[in-house]
Amino acid sequence: MASELVIKNLHASIEGKPILRGVDLVVRQGEVHALMGPNGSGKSTLANVIMGNPKYEVTDGEIWFKGENILEYSPDRRARMGLFLAFQYPMAIPGVSVANFLRRALEAVREGPRPIGEENPSGRPAPRKTIPPSEFRNLLREKMKLLKVDNSFINRSINDGFSGGEKKRAEILQMALLEPEIAMMDETDSGLDIDALKIVSDSVNALRGPKLGLLVITHYQRILNYIVPDFVHVMFDGRIVRSGGKELALELEERGYEWLRPEGSEVAVND
Amino acid sequence: MTEALATTGFSREAVIALSRRKGEPEWMLQKRLEAWEIYEQTPAPLGRRGDLGTLQRLARFHFQELRPYLPADGDGALPASIEEGLRDALVGAAERSGLVLQRNSSVVRVELSEELKSRGVILTDLDTAVREHGDLVQRYFMTQAVPLATDKYTALHAAFWSGGIFLYIPSGVEIEEPILAQIWLDAPAAAAFAHTLIIADELSSARYVEEYASAFEGEQPSLLSAVVEVFTKNGARIEYTSLQDLGRNVWSVMHKNSIHEADSSVSWVMADLGSRLTFSNIGSNLIGNGSATELVGVFFSDQDQRFVIKSLSNHVGLSTNAETLVHGALADESRVEFDGMIRVQPGAQQTASFLSEHNLLLSKHCRAEAIPGLEIGANEVSASHGATTGQVDEEQLFYLMARGLPKDEAERIIVQGFFEPVLQRITLDSLRSRLRRNIVRRMRGGHESEADWIEAQERWEIEGVDEGAVSFDRPSSEEEEIRLLPE
Repeated sequence: MASELVIKNLHASIEGKPILRGVDLVVRQGEVHALMGPNGSGKSTLANVIMGNPKYEVTDGEIWFKGENILEYSPDRRARMGLFLAFQYPMAIPGVSVANFLRRALEAVREGPRPIGEENPSGRPAPRKTIPPSEFRNLLREKMKLLKVDNSFINRSINDGFSGGEKKRAEILQMALLEPEIAMMDETDSGLDIDALKIVSDSVNALRGPKLGLLVITHYQRILNYIVPDFVHVMFDGRIVRSGGKELALELEERGYEWLRPEGSEVAVND
Repeated sequence: MTEALATTGFSREAVIALSRRKGEPEWMLQKRLEAWEIYEQTPAPLGRRGDLGTLQRLARFHFQELRPYLPADGDGALPASIEEGLRDALVGAAERSGLVLQRNSSVVRVELSEELKSRGVILTDLDTAVREHGDLVQRYFMTQAVPLATDKYTALHAAFWSGGIFLYIPSGVEIEEPILAQIWLDAPAAAAFAHTLIIADELSSARYVEEYASAFEGEQPSLLSAVVEVFTKNGARIEYTSLQDLGRNVWSVMHKNSIHEADSSVSWVMADLGSRLTFSNIGSNLIGNGSATELVGVFFSDQDQRFVIKSLSNHVGLSTNAETLVHGALADESRVEFDGMIRVQPGAQQTASFLSEHNLLLSKHCRAEAIPGLEIGANEVSASHGATTGQVDEEQLFYLMARGLPKDEAERIIVQGFFEPVLQRITLDSLRSRLRRNIVRRMRGGHESEADWIEAQERWEIEGVDEGAVSFDRPSSEEEEIRLLPE
């Protein structure tokens, strides 16, 4: 059965300021959804809340994934269940090599979530399945080729000194490596030149299939020329105000967002 | 007279008794008495108003409850804990060219390779050096690098030093394999004075590794007073590495200083992990033109540990270089004060001097204070200094967790990453992995076994170091793979 991510009436705020005001959305494995909307409409917040960023407070609603309400789950548990977020602004972590980090991430994700109640064994070390370096290396080499990532990447510190484009490609590389069931791409297209955009889109398309559900968050229609969505949703003021097929994206390209502004909505501020 | 030495507390009588017992020449006795005089007249350093109060606490330490002299037993056998510590030394028996072991007040073992002996290298305890190389000791012992009147504690050290290490490297002799010194304190309510005097003659070089350790139980504290004096003659190079991993029942005061002739260099690597309280002073006096120094420092404090670290890059000659790089993490209620000074004397043109110090706070209750200082008396100078104190970044944490890493592991990785730039500067592999291990051990929690993680870390490091193992540039043959990755 295909995994489902089900968002019900989701409300979330940051520092007491409401951002999401009742989001409903279902993303299944095998589907590609585009989430569009003007700046400040809450797109990035939604992705962060789904991933469990503690900066945001969920004030109402539910998030179900694979039949479980994951609202109380830690971000790592969500990742281990098969959720992935390609960050809009990937964090640099000096002194930690990409190779080291990615292998640990792959080990963690392959291990999957631990049974509830055993997440914090009292000081007792849990056995860990390690991935042989040779196997990991081959896997990584394959994904690096796919994303045309520079070979030196592997020994560098995570995102440290990476250009904007390199960071975005590295995010998609991680996605390719970790093989999530539902992945969110948070404005992966912003800051990419046309060549990089094509590389990223090609690799995402190569990953498309019945095992991957995608939520492509974007401000512009451009990336959707390459990653053609099955569904398009428009967000305004923390709610999804319109959903449709791929033609909706084209309509937005022509008409902009203003015609979808709900009555009484203020002009959006940045989130 | 000898009674004064056997009882607790420091006194003039004890100074005389100690010197007599050692059968020292008159000049050394006089030096000790002069130091004692200074000790009695000098107030303890108390720090600045508004600092974290560590020096005040040190000043209130019960010095008079310590036994000033604890010679080792006659038969020369070492307790099991010290034997074990020696086996686990940073430099193993097969890798070192020399060894000095000091236990409390006595040097109990000195070894030096026959080859180095034949080339004129002298490695001995300081008592022997006073007898056999009196002229050198008289000239260099607590006169220039760490003058006995530097502060109250150095005066006490000069009055009561015992044991001690003397290393002389003749002109042109280059010692590749490190010389190891281990200083052990294994008795409560004891004062141990470790003195290291290194004289590197012209164009010589050596690597010297010093470990401070203790092995005794109980609350009753002991004191370790260490003075390290390094003299590099023209073109000489010394790499001095120390690991302070004393028990929490030991207080320590350290003064380390180098005096540079032209084109000579000293590279200091200092790791502070242990002790209840450590007051550490480290300096380089770049007197000779073209001389250089580097200080790489790492510390990790937790519980109620307190460190005060003071560094000084003193630029005197023309075209001298100094770089100070210190990274430290603080946990629990620990407190650390760092005071890093760059002093460029008038006339010290073409000085290049850099200092950076970074603290990572791992709890809400620890406190760090970093004061970088800069005094510039010359006009053609390139100097910069900076200090930061921060916490583990929440966004970094979320990023790693979003990739499946549990919170404690994510935190640990960030802390490890924080230390990595300094660890990379440490040339002694064993120290680097000892520090990694210590850092991991101190990070609380643990989903996985610590050994697992370290094993993974070290495996990666090995692979990372070997370009062939991680290079994707050139396809490696299967055979090569097997060789690089034995599994």
